[in-house]
Amino acid sequence: MATREWNPLDFDIGEEEDEEGTPSPSSISPPLQYFDRDRHVAFLEMMYNLMPHHYQSQEINRLTLAFFTISGLHLLRALDRVDKDRVADWVLSFQAHPRSRAELKIGQFYGFHGSRTSQFPPDENGVSARNAGHLASTYCALAILKTVGFNLLTIDKESILISLRNLQQPDGSFMPVDVGAETDLRFVYCAAAICFMLEDWSGMDREKAKEYILKCQSYDGGFGLMPGLESHGGGTYCAVASLRLMGYIEDDLLSKTVTSSIINVPLLLDWCMQRQAIDGGFQGRANKPSDTCYAFWIGAVLRILGGYKFIDKIALHRFLLTCQSEFGGFSKYPRDLPDIYHAYYGYTAFSLLEEPGLNPLCAELGMTDLTAIGII
Amino acid sequence: MDSREDDGGEPLSRMAEWRDVTPLPQDDGPNPVVPIAYKEEFRETMDYFRAIYKADERSPRALRLTRRAIHLNPGNYTVWHFRRLVLEALNADLDEELDFLQRIANSNSKNYQLWHHRRWVVERLGANARAKELNLIKKILSIDAKNYHAWSHRQWVLQALGGWEDELDYCQQLLEEDIFNNSAWNQRYFVVTRSPYLGGLKAMRASEVRYTVEAILANPNNECPWRYLQGLYKDDIKALVNDPEISSVCLKPCHEFRDSVVALRTSDTDPLGPDLSMAICDILEHVDSLRASYWIWRKNKLSVAAV
Repeated sequence: MATREWNPLDFDIGEEEDEEGTPSPSSISPPLQYFDRDRHVAFLEMMYNLMPHHYQSQEINRLTLAFFTISGLHLLRALDRVDKDRVADWVLSFQAHPRSRAELKIGQFYGFHGSRTSQFPPDENGVSARNAGHLASTYCALAILKTVGFNLLTIDKESILISLRNLQQPDGSFMPVDVGAETDLRFVYCAAAICFMLEDWSGMDREKAKEYILKCQSYDGGFGLMPGLESHGGGTYCAVASLRLMGYIEDDLLSKTVTSSIINVPLLLDWCMQRQAIDGGFQGRANKPSDTCYAFWIGAVLRILGGYKFIDKIALHRFLLTCQSEFGGFSKYPRDLPDIYHAYYGYTAFSLLEEPGLNPLCAELGMTDLTAIGII
Repeated sequence: MDSREDDGGEPLSRMAEWRDVTPLPQDDGPNPVVPIAYKEEFRETMDYFRAIYKADERSPRALRLTRRAIHLNPGNYTVWHFRRLVLEALNADLDEELDFLQRIANSNSKNYQLWHHRRWVVERLGANARAKELNLIKKILSIDAKNYHAWSHRQWVLQALGGWEDELDYCQQLLEEDIFNNSAWNQRYFVVTRSPYLGGLKAMRASEVRYTVEAILANPNNECPWRYLQGLYKDDIKALVNDPEISSVCLKPCHEFRDSVVALRTSDTDPLGPDLSMAICDILEHVDSLRASYWIWRKNKLSVAAV
């Protein structure tokens, strides 16, 4: 499996340069001419049962790895491989619980830990070591629970929502953990998705979040991860999906005759369209190599806007197949080793392409439609 | 790697220094999902880290332990956070911390936690750290001129500590090295619009347009300067449309399309009229066939608007 350092939260920002010109071919045989569902199910089942040691550096994002695996199986209509009750119990064990209501406003975030690394059982006095609930882990936790059909109304959502507010910054952005970390559009997205899944917007100031998002639109129409930064596929997804989830942009904008919008839609559309490269794949930024995952990040933006129909699906399909691994899963670049992150976004990309045998996708949540709506 | 510097990479359980500590194993619970096949070194290091973290021991050996843990999982924000607590408790030399970060920068140049930690250190050192910081970022960018984290950090340094004076020249240099570098174009826009020394977008527009047009003519198939040109006229599209230099650049025939464009130029249609735009969509539908559906849709929108 993949040995290079990567972080599922990175959207593979800028990693291309390390590998350009030196991919290690996993096979000299030509790529399969079809999406090999069985192979991918086997890949995910293997991950579900045991992940290779290379993933130990991702221990802190354990819940994210679980999300890719379980939601991946659901996309492939193979959720029967999973013990749903066992998964729900395991995920719930990561929830941080306040000792009293008063604690909710102090500053800590009572969402979900991503890993046992930051979670300790309470000592004899019932005191837990410092809490470190994380926004991205919370998004993944809720997504997994929904995927396995767990009723989110039964969890302590109040603690999550009241303490979620502690993470929002004066400029509208979000910090992922209360102890301090970078703030950018990824976490605005996580916050919006959390509120959306819990069906309760009291957890964030949507107006302020919207203002921050708008500041991230670059002169070329795409969105950077922070105001002033280069427009980027991952940033653009987070911006557009958040606005959609929060209700600031309508579904299928492009088919409406209404011309005014809070974002520059024609420029955004043109930027997205230019991200499909000659090899059929999608790039994350202008003049960068095509990478599997942008078929989702950019493709999903186009789907939300109502412009997915404009892309060259045949060319994209062909490119993605060159990234399909004989081990199952997908790699970042053609004919390279697969990893769970690119596998997942490869599956979401094939779902957008309406590959037979895959469940349809809810673009703005990054999971199956069935999960989003609440049907198992 | 770096962790070897201090302790030779020996197992902690065999080191006298750690004899008094009982490692705290990870409690994965009864039915863990996606369990990871940890290597022994990883498991042991994190067991000791858990023990120290739970005991909240902020000592020199704790500092060394965080270095080892960072080496094994540099994305672990809990470890980095604890390292900061220890640095504060020990009143550690933060310049030395910057040196440590510099040594591990190359193999962690795309790690959010490292850059955030760097920012934390620089915030405490203040304006004195500025020159060193901008220099380090240049080094990282010389290896990978599009490193998103490096650019993000650079923008933060400029806004928090200043140093704008040489930035436009730096962008110029990067663009001379690679005119296709979109990060450099973006930084140029950042500088032109925000530098307190340049007077803002409107003041810079004329010279920037000249620069951009030159870049377009040198490589008309480079998306960056086209986008940049449009960006120079943000919120002022009329000025762009009315600039004769720009329309001549846009209609300048590339050899593949010479005939079609010459035909367009010599027709009596209003240069800004829908007929010209629709004709361009027709051309694009054929020469940019990857986006054929998109150009057809745009042409249809124009014909609807023209009615």
